[in-house]
Amino acid sequence: MKPFKLKIITPEKTFFEGETEQLIAKTPAGNVGFLAGHTPYAANLVASPLKVRQADGSFRVAAVSAGMIKVRNSECVVVASAVEWSDEIDVERAKRSKEDAEKRLKEQNSQKEFERAEQKLKRALNRLTVSGGKY
Amino acid sequence: MATANMKDVKRRIKSVESTRQITKAMELVASSKLRRAKERALAAQPFFAAVYDTMADVSRDHVFSSIYTKKEMLKTTLLIVIAGDRGLAGGFNHNVLKLALEKANEHRAEGYTVKIITIGKKAVEYFKKRDFEVLDEYPGIAENLDVYDSLDIAENVITRFRLGEFDKVEIVYTTFVSALTQEPVHMPVLPVKQMISGSGEKKSLMIYDPSPEEVFDGLIPQYMSGILYAAIVDSFASEQAARRTAMESASDNADEMIESLSLMYNRARQSQITQELTEIASGSLRDE
Repeated sequence: MKPFKLKIITPEKTFFEGETEQLIAKTPAGNVGFLAGHTPYAANLVASPLKVRQADGSFRVAAVSAGMIKVRNSECVVVASAVEWSDEIDVERAKRSKEDAEKRLKEQNSQKEFERAEQKLKRALNRLTVSGGKY
Repeated sequence: MATANMKDVKRRIKSVESTRQITKAMELVASSKLRRAKERALAAQPFFAAVYDTMADVSRDHVFSSIYTKKEMLKTTLLIVIAGDRGLAGGFNHNVLKLALEKANEHRAEGYTVKIITIGKKAVEYFKKRDFEVLDEYPGIAENLDVYDSLDIAENVITRFRLGEFDKVEIVYTTFVSALTQEPVHMPVLPVKQMISGSGEKKSLMIYDPSPEEVFDGLIPQYMSGILYAAIVDSFASEQAARRTAMESASDNADEMIESLSLMYNRARQSQITQELTEIASGSLRDE
């Protein structure tokens, strides 16, 4: 397959810059696959596993938090608040923030705090699924 | 009398020396923290640029309406004030807080209600004592800021914005101009003013999934947290630079003081020796 340029950017750094042959990302509407020569496209991303095809045909998976994906001039840019490769996820930290979020959900605070805790739980669960290899 | 004076001077030299040690150490710490903070501030730029570009693209190409671009109706402004967590940084905290207070009073004079979110211990303390409605406080997050902190604040702000608690958001923070100059600045964030709905002639072939509005609104949390992240990191870098300059001049002043005190000490010692010599000489003269 023809490779195309991929860039993954977070506020902390440019997380990845290189080439890939296929990319699978999750938008609010569901999974979307990208190959070289994709039409110009922009969508939001939800907290989910992001799959990047490597030269040997296997997928390297990263946990992305909410962000966006944009394809233009056959260059693909993923922008997310946080991205971690599956093997680099701090599982203990993810578990802690999951527990913290669950505790806050149970406390039955205002709607606002409930939503924030829910978001946090989603992010933590996503990191845990990706690090556990279950996607 | 000469001996008592000498003791005093000696003690003062010692005390100035130990102060100098502290200021020198703080200067070194600040300059190493400054280096790291500058790197972080630089690394944050591509993220914000990418988000902003997409939002600008959407607004150029489409006729759309978003609650994030509409004009203000409520006349309530949120000021996000970012200051340092620690003092001893010259005029750093004072300057930014003064600007924040100025802006807040300006808005009040124009008939706006002002609400405040403070970031950094000094800002928290400052606005606690004043009569403003403080919605939230975030002390002590700047040094080890991670993305989730800024996202948390961003989501907090956006939810309140959507609920109509305020319809204008502005940030007051200190921007890093150079190692020697840091400037307190005031920046409007919401509504996104520059992005007025476009002519509707579709210029690019970009497909927005599911719709331009959704993509635009979905980007707002990234936009907000990107701005906050950059501003907090920027302010932290400024704080370190200000502290470094302040401590550098404190060390220089200590050096100067030590020098003049040593001179005083040596003079006193010399005159004491001279006096003793005259006393001995006159004593032996009398004996003869």
